[in-house]
Amino acid sequence: MTVAPHRDEPPGEAAARPGAGGGAAPRGTAFPAAARRLRTKVLPAIIGNLAMTIIGVIFLLPLAWLILAAFNPHASPGVVTPRFSLANFTQALQSGASGAIMNSLYLAGVSTVIATVVSTLAGYVLSRHYVPLKGAALVVIIFLTGLPVTLLLIPIYQIFVSIGWLDSPFYTSLVLAATSVPFAIWLLKNFIDQVPREFEEAAAIEGSGQFRVLLTVVVPLIMPGVLVSAILTFINSWGAFLIPLVLDANPSDTPGAVGIYQFMSANGQVQFGPLAAYGILFSLPVIILYLISSRWLSGGFSFAGGIKG
Amino acid sequence: MATITLEGVSKAFKGKPAVDGVDLSIDDGQFLIIVGPSGCGKTTTLRMLAGFERPTSGVVRIGGRVMNDVPPKDRDLAMVFQNYALFPHMTVAKNLAFGMRVRRVDRKVIDREVASIASMLGIEALLGRKPAELSGGERQRVALGRALLRKPKAFLLDEPLSNLDAALRAQMRFELKRIHAQFPVTTVYVTHDQVEAMTMADRIALMEGGRLQQVAAPEVLYSEPANTFVAGFVGSPKINLIPGQVVRDARRPTIRSMSCDIPVDGTAGAVLASLPHDNVVIGLRPEELRPRRPATGGLPAVRGVIELIEPLGSETHVALRVGGHVLTCKCPPRAGLEVGSEISVEFDPEHMKVFDGDTGMRLG
Amino acid sequence: MTAAQEIGAGGRARWRRADADKVKISTIGWLLPAAALLIGLFLVPVGYAVYLGFTNIELLGPLAQDYSFTGLANVSRMAHDPVFWSSVKLTLIFVVGSGIVAQTVLGLALALLGQRAHVMVRASVGSIVVLAWVLPEICVAFIWYSFSQAGGMLGELIGRTSSDFLSTAPLLIVCLANAWRGTAFSMLVLSAGLRNVPQEADEAAQLEGASYWTRLFRVTLPIIRPTLMINMLLITLGTISDFTLVFAMTQGGPGNETAILPVYMYIEAFQFNALGYGTTIALALMIIGAILSIVYIRQLRPELRRGR
Repeated sequence: MTVAPHRDEPPGEAAARPGAGGGAAPRGTAFPAAARRLRTKVLPAIIGNLAMTIIGVIFLLPLAWLILAAFNPHASPGVVTPRFSLANFTQALQSGASGAIMNSLYLAGVSTVIATVVSTLAGYVLSRHYVPLKGAALVVIIFLTGLPVTLLLIPIYQIFVSIGWLDSPFYTSLVLAATSVPFAIWLLKNFIDQVPREFEEAAAIEGSGQFRVLLTVVVPLIMPGVLVSAILTFINSWGAFLIPLVLDANPSDTPGAVGIYQFMSANGQVQFGPLAAYGILFSLPVIILYLISSRWLSGGFSFAGGIKG
Repeated sequence: MATITLEGVSKAFKGKPAVDGVDLSIDDGQFLIIVGPSGCGKTTTLRMLAGFERPTSGVVRIGGRVMNDVPPKDRDLAMVFQNYALFPHMTVAKNLAFGMRVRRVDRKVIDREVASIASMLGIEALLGRKPAELSGGERQRVALGRALLRKPKAFLLDEPLSNLDAALRAQMRFELKRIHAQFPVTTVYVTHDQVEAMTMADRIALMEGGRLQQVAAPEVLYSEPANTFVAGFVGSPKINLIPGQVVRDARRPTIRSMSCDIPVDGTAGAVLASLPHDNVVIGLRPEELRPRRPATGGLPAVRGVIELIEPLGSETHVALRVGGHVLTCKCPPRAGLEVGSEISVEFDPEHMKVFDGDTGMRLG
Repeated sequence: MTAAQEIGAGGRARWRRADADKVKISTIGWLLPAAALLIGLFLVPVGYAVYLGFTNIELLGPLAQDYSFTGLANVSRMAHDPVFWSSVKLTLIFVVGSGIVAQTVLGLALALLGQRAHVMVRASVGSIVVLAWVLPEICVAFIWYSFSQAGGMLGELIGRTSSDFLSTAPLLIVCLANAWRGTAFSMLVLSAGLRNVPQEADEAAQLEGASYWTRLFRVTLPIIRPTLMINMLLITLGTISDFTLVFAMTQGGPGNETAILPVYMYIEAFQFNALGYGTTIALALMIIGAILSIVYIRQLRPELRRGR
């Protein structure tokens, strides 16, 4: 072949050919092409990877400090030398981390169950049934997704004072559930909209009642949506700080987020090492949840099996 | 097992009628096919039978009982959907067992029934798979199996073969017919394909524009179409529909069409005399038009130029230009015809259909 | 046969009425829990807030019970409250600086770089950035609190070990922390947007000889403009009501220098007892959020119309 190196060839081949002794391509034409490749393809690729790596390293620094500080019993806010000791974790657990994390688990768990169940039912009705003023209801729900929770806090506090719901983990999780419900309804309604009605009709003609259709046909089909909604609610409630801070002052109900805050502002020297350990303990559940859910988030879901065309 | 009747059933969507005053009764065990072009209201009719749509007026009866307000789950029907609607998250076995599990049938009975239907349909090997892992034909069988296991009062099938390729469709037609012979359950089958309708049905209900055009056995539909629409819908290649005029001063009832006087006998001839106007349409099936070799004599014939020849092997379709009309003729193979040549075709007026030119209704 | 007669007699005249679907019992039953939560814990509180914002209610003491409607007293107090106005300014700086500018620019940069970067680089940098986003806000607050201490890592990195950045540049640190935490969201949203850009558009521009930057600003960005705008709207709504991060790091200090509106509301309501005034601040916050949302939605309107 007497073809000069073409721009589309992989870099290795283009670079190798002039020296390879094939003799077909004169050096004079090969080198400008290679130089051009260098300028238009290779160099931007190097710069791009480099820039991304630099940003990544900058983002990594605070995380790296957290991890190093958690395992070093003499951690300071400065650069921490790597060591491996679990002393900070022991101390964090002794200062109430385990109880606080259990409290967070309760708040997040209860609010997730409530929000998911309630939103699935409502999302199904809003997707499938005739509802008077449905359009207006959907607009209100979208509006509520954007409403700052801070606005609700004082009136809810006042209402809770007057009906005696303060200092109760259950009612606090009810508020946390409510803050997630608008988005969850919107998300689940959109998921259910994607499900072809034939599945429900097939189940109905086989003798299923409405609730059974929802439970055995619709919910399994929108499982990714239900999981995404549940996980987002869980992560939201898990990190909740202001709502439990205001609505539940009972020290034994303190969730992790408030616990870390109190630990930070406790008298005397800030204990960086144990706090870092506390932070890692408190973060792990949501990190794990995110890792699990990211598979569904990107995995997608297909009805191709049952419905064709 | 049940009879199904529709009495003046109509359905309007946002005020627009989709089904308009349908009266239909289906005998116990009958295989009825509702056929018609898309948008004719056939699927809406089926969905009213199933209970997915509520008639805006009229009565739906299954087994004598008024069903208008009975939800689908209590109608005791089975349905095969166009897209099969197999639950994608369940295995074939679970899909088949779904209805029985809803009805809380004993596990052992379920397993036995699923196994027997699977062997009957030849899908035993697929029981552990999910619908996504099946071919179109296999999904079709599973959907049928699910419907059969329901042991319903009636089967509803909504274009069940339209997603299959031609060869598979022919095979499934045969198999559906065999299954119906084995389990003679009242069946309502919706399709837009007249071949399916003609080959499978005990009776055909032909719909157009939300109305029933004709309900009859396939042979009757073919030989005695109620109107030009039915005549045009049934039969392939399509019937030739040519306008004509009643010749009033002739000795016997006569129609002039394509510059040819055609005597009309029998009841059609009698009705022709009392027709208030002269406009008629004659219908000539392509197979009834024969190239005239030597003059047969007696039979009316028209002359035309061959525009197109479609050899199909077993027969040849010829498009013949006669004046301003193009006639399709079904000719024997290797008839030695040539495009551009002029031939005569003759036909027996006895097989000719005559329609009222204004209303399209068949005369006689 | 009465049913048949009744229905049969209806005929055409009853089409319209029968055509309208009926509200089923399950419709009401299944909507009820959600409606109860949303009405009880959203709509009623919002209405109640509008009322409380015009009262002199206090957290403790006699005015906790016997508060009264005070008309525009809170509004006029707010109008003359220099801390409120500085708080508005701080909120806008926080939202625009750390939210809109930093998160969008960084997120877009990462999304664009990720398109062409090596898969290993993209995956590892991507997960680091996302990890910062997944961490509970309180942990982010603690990390950056420690990071910017006197003798903290930030000081060591830029060679000013002795300075406590939370006293010398509190707003900047808070903004950096928020940008660090929120960039992943923009990156994820914009990466998805970039994946939907038809490759032919970019290839057509390449054939025309356009440089990378021309293609970016003339082709790619205009195509993902709706995604950018929605991303910015969501960031704005998220940042404007942010409380945990700033409060845990600084409690609004030093000297109200980081008292963005939610923090100022909390301080007034729950530390200075002024529940009524705090509510007024929260209402102001909601109005600012609504105005910003309307601005975005107006910007988006042509796209929305065309999309239809």
